[in-house]
Amino acid sequence: MAQGTTPIESPETEPGRDFTTVSGREVKPVYSEADIAPDDLGANLPLPGEYPYTRGIHPSMYRGKLWTMRQFAGMGTAEQTNERFRFLLSRGQTGLSTAFDNPTLYGWDSDHPLSEGEVGKTGVAMDSLQDMERLFDSIPLDQVSTSMTINAPAAWIFTMFLANAERRGIPFEKLRGTLQNDILKEYIAQKEWIFPPAPHMRIITDLFSFCAEHVPQWNTISISGYHIREAGATAAQELAFTLQDGFTYVEHALAAGMSIDDFAPRLSFFFNSHLDFFEEIAKLRAARRIWARHMKERYGAKNPRSWLCRFHVQTAGCSLTAQQPEVNIVRTALEALAGVLGGCQSLHTNSMDEALALPSDKAVEIALRTQQVIAFESGAANVADPLGGSYFIERLTRDLEDEAEAYFAQIEAMGGMIQAIEKGFPQQELTRAAYEYQRALSDKRKIIVGVNEFVNENEELLIPILEIDESVERDQIAAVKKLRETRDNIAVSRELDALERAARTHANLVPHMLDCSRAYATEGEITQTLIKVFGEFREQSFF
Amino acid sequence: MSGSPIKVVVGKPGLDGHDRGAKVVARTLVEAGMEVVYLGLRQTPESIVAAALEEDADVIGLSVLSGAHMTHFKRVRALMEEKGLGDRLLTGGGIIPTKDQETLAALGVGKLFGPGDDPDAIVDYIREWIREHPREDAV
Amino acid sequence: MGTDNVRIDDLSNLSAGVSPALAEGLWTSFWDGDRRACARLITKVENEPNSIPGIRERLADRLGHAIRIGVTGPPGVGKSTLCSAIALGLADRQHRVGVIAVDPSSPFTGGAFMGDRVRMDKFVGDDRIFMRSLASREGRGGLSPSTPYVADVIEAFGMDRILIETVGVGQAELDVMNTADLVVLVLQPITGDAIQSMKAGIIEAADLIVVNKSDLPGADTVLQSLRFVYSLGSAKSGKAPPLLAVSAQQTEGIEELVDTLEQLSTSIIQSGRHQELRQQRLVEEIKSGIVDELWQRYLRQSDAERVIENAAKHLAASGGSAYKFVREMCSNIQLTVDPKANA
Repeated sequence: MAQGTTPIESPETEPGRDFTTVSGREVKPVYSEADIAPDDLGANLPLPGEYPYTRGIHPSMYRGKLWTMRQFAGMGTAEQTNERFRFLLSRGQTGLSTAFDNPTLYGWDSDHPLSEGEVGKTGVAMDSLQDMERLFDSIPLDQVSTSMTINAPAAWIFTMFLANAERRGIPFEKLRGTLQNDILKEYIAQKEWIFPPAPHMRIITDLFSFCAEHVPQWNTISISGYHIREAGATAAQELAFTLQDGFTYVEHALAAGMSIDDFAPRLSFFFNSHLDFFEEIAKLRAARRIWARHMKERYGAKNPRSWLCRFHVQTAGCSLTAQQPEVNIVRTALEALAGVLGGCQSLHTNSMDEALALPSDKAVEIALRTQQVIAFESGAANVADPLGGSYFIERLTRDLEDEAEAYFAQIEAMGGMIQAIEKGFPQQELTRAAYEYQRALSDKRKIIVGVNEFVNENEELLIPILEIDESVERDQIAAVKKLRETRDNIAVSRELDALERAARTHANLVPHMLDCSRAYATEGEITQTLIKVFGEFREQSFF
Repeated sequence: MSGSPIKVVVGKPGLDGHDRGAKVVARTLVEAGMEVVYLGLRQTPESIVAAALEEDADVIGLSVLSGAHMTHFKRVRALMEEKGLGDRLLTGGGIIPTKDQETLAALGVGKLFGPGDDPDAIVDYIREWIREHPREDAV
Repeated sequence: MGTDNVRIDDLSNLSAGVSPALAEGLWTSFWDGDRRACARLITKVENEPNSIPGIRERLADRLGHAIRIGVTGPPGVGKSTLCSAIALGLADRQHRVGVIAVDPSSPFTGGAFMGDRVRMDKFVGDDRIFMRSLASREGRGGLSPSTPYVADVIEAFGMDRILIETVGVGQAELDVMNTADLVVLVLQPITGDAIQSMKAGIIEAADLIVVNKSDLPGADTVLQSLRFVYSLGSAKSGKAPPLLAVSAQQTEGIEELVDTLEQLSTSIIQSGRHQELRQQRLVEEIKSGIVDELWQRYLRQSDAERVIENAAKHLAASGGSAYKFVREMCSNIQLTVDPKANA
């Protein structure tokens, strides 16, 4: 670093204390002017709403519009999740976020042999348009924005959503929401893939193009660091790999002939907010600055909306403990506050019981209330970027930016993110960081309250635990079997054949997926049709 | 027990890509001197037990965060009995409510670990279990 | 556990010759094709070197027919995936296939991470194939010392093609050359440089070279440089192994690869080369067996450790040749075997 550092006269510290962040970063006892560069308070720090947006994407930030309180929800059947959605809306939630079950996330139907035991467990089961109709029954899709957390089969789940809107007479232009649709982080972290990277990247690009024309208010992708962090990344790795994924999507869309300002304004991001309060705030500020610079200077975007790194934040699931779960409310509150001070556009707060089971109604309500306390009681939403100009925050922001740039250079040298993934580079970085962090916990260099220190030996669990009825799977399987008997199977075969033919050309696949969805083809049937053309990706296990 | 390493088969049954825990535990076991056969994602109970049989594993460790733990642990345990591996330890971890852990324990499943548990505790548990349940020809 | 099954722990004390009835039970299971017994016997071979002579004697009648195929190459070239495809290809040609995948043990902890099954899960539960992961243990980065004996167990269990997969760096490359009847060297386009860095000898020793992921850029360059290496080499030895290309998704090249392996197998059997290799390995085994045996006897007969230590102390202090001491010591050893007895 070119600039100096604050001298430390007498480093008086209690023995045995650790002064590193959750990511293992050393921090000093105090920061001063000596720790920052002139730009940190100058060119890098104009007012909120001004390029490069270190301080936020809007001039007035949360005075103009509070962040969207969007709790991720989904379990059991479509009816059960519909009920949870309506419960959350009635409690003041302002957007919906759908969790799908594992078979849905892998592109399989509920009656696939490997779906056994998984149907409706960690999200809602979605086999066809029929389930989509039930899921959003009586929910005003032209008024409430809807997020769908799904990746590998995102495009054909989205076409089921579109087909449902169509049946209800809601024009596509009025639909607002976000599709996660981020396959790169699946290869890196969450491992829910279907095909090798190339066909997935093609489908994602197809969707960018389709939505630019037909569903203009839809966020076509939510480039996600959340899962990368949950899989063990440090803050700098989360930042770097997520933005590098973002550059990769941009480059693929450009290579497919789209122009940057046609699709870039609809790209959105999704970050984790972990326990280390200041480092997380700095990470979110750095993300905005880096994205703006690359979009403007490297990719030549002209529309200021293309420069904006708009993001959703979720508090860190991996920071939750099964021990003394009520304490998770406090952790989540701090993490949520970091997300707000970091300038998020929407926020999910985890429920206290999520290290034990799927969240109960009670736990979900407290999680939502936590956001409301921050928004309406704490005063944190009254002033934009209240920590801007803090020596510590500005220095951390710049350090994170520098670290991310160093990763970009390393990944570019490998030939780009897809090549880096094929080599296992980000995967190995994560695995190593996860192990290091676990060692720090095992050695008690890091303390987690109630887990490796302040343990309550005689703890009794005093919170309710949600159970998923095993009948969900039977009902769902019966429903999909019945659907296959009652629908127009000639139409289904015709549309699936058309999709297969299109997949063998360079045609945009989204309109064909929409036709399949309209005909009530199941998710698994669409997946299997595409596998015939694209093949399946096989695990590469990197350590 | 003499110095021969304990052999552990580690796998993730079903549809669940969250392998951070499985990998951290696998590495911890290797660092503790065990031989770990890592099976990876999307395993079936059948593939896990078939692998454990050929590997002559002392321990099978499963990681399940998908909520499908009852299905998978039960099936693996039943297959172990069926294939003559009833004398081996079946353990693992994930988000598994205490009530379910008790049900599984009654079926012969070993201790299950959760978020926040120290992987070193898993090492200790496996060593202790092997000490208390020597296969008679264990060397 | 079924009552008709013999308990797997019946193998106890096999090498010591104690409880022969129990051991017989396990052998019966083994000969009956009980995979669990085969797995247990392998563990025995791995964990108890002393048991090896006894076990090998029991297996001897069933050995000699299988072809052992070493598969080696730099890390990351896709050996496991390739082995998986070869194993299935051989099984489809009516072979019973053993697969041994060797991974390094940590020299510090003794633990080992064995991840080959991640890419070898296509044949799990397939009775035609028996797969086993081995940690290299004290094999110092090479094959586990027990590898040939593990192969013996698998062969005696009825497998007639045995793939031995190892990370092709350092010692393991040389070990695999001494253990296998055929050596397959696997390369990939982006590791072109690796050709230069490979242990001298492995390129010459390969019976077949596979360029994996041949649809990636750079495949032609690798193939060309290999042809160049062989155009030099073949002038001397008159031998250039087949070069095959296999695509990354393995949609192309696998059938040809398996066919080529079959032709090579047939050819080494017909030419007598297979027998010759087996004989060479037996020579090595006898030699090292004699060394071990004599050393053990030497240790038993004298106060050897102390004598050696004293000699070393003396030599270190006063100088002089260790070999002089060795010659003197050996001249005092009486070979009790009468050379005429074997004539």
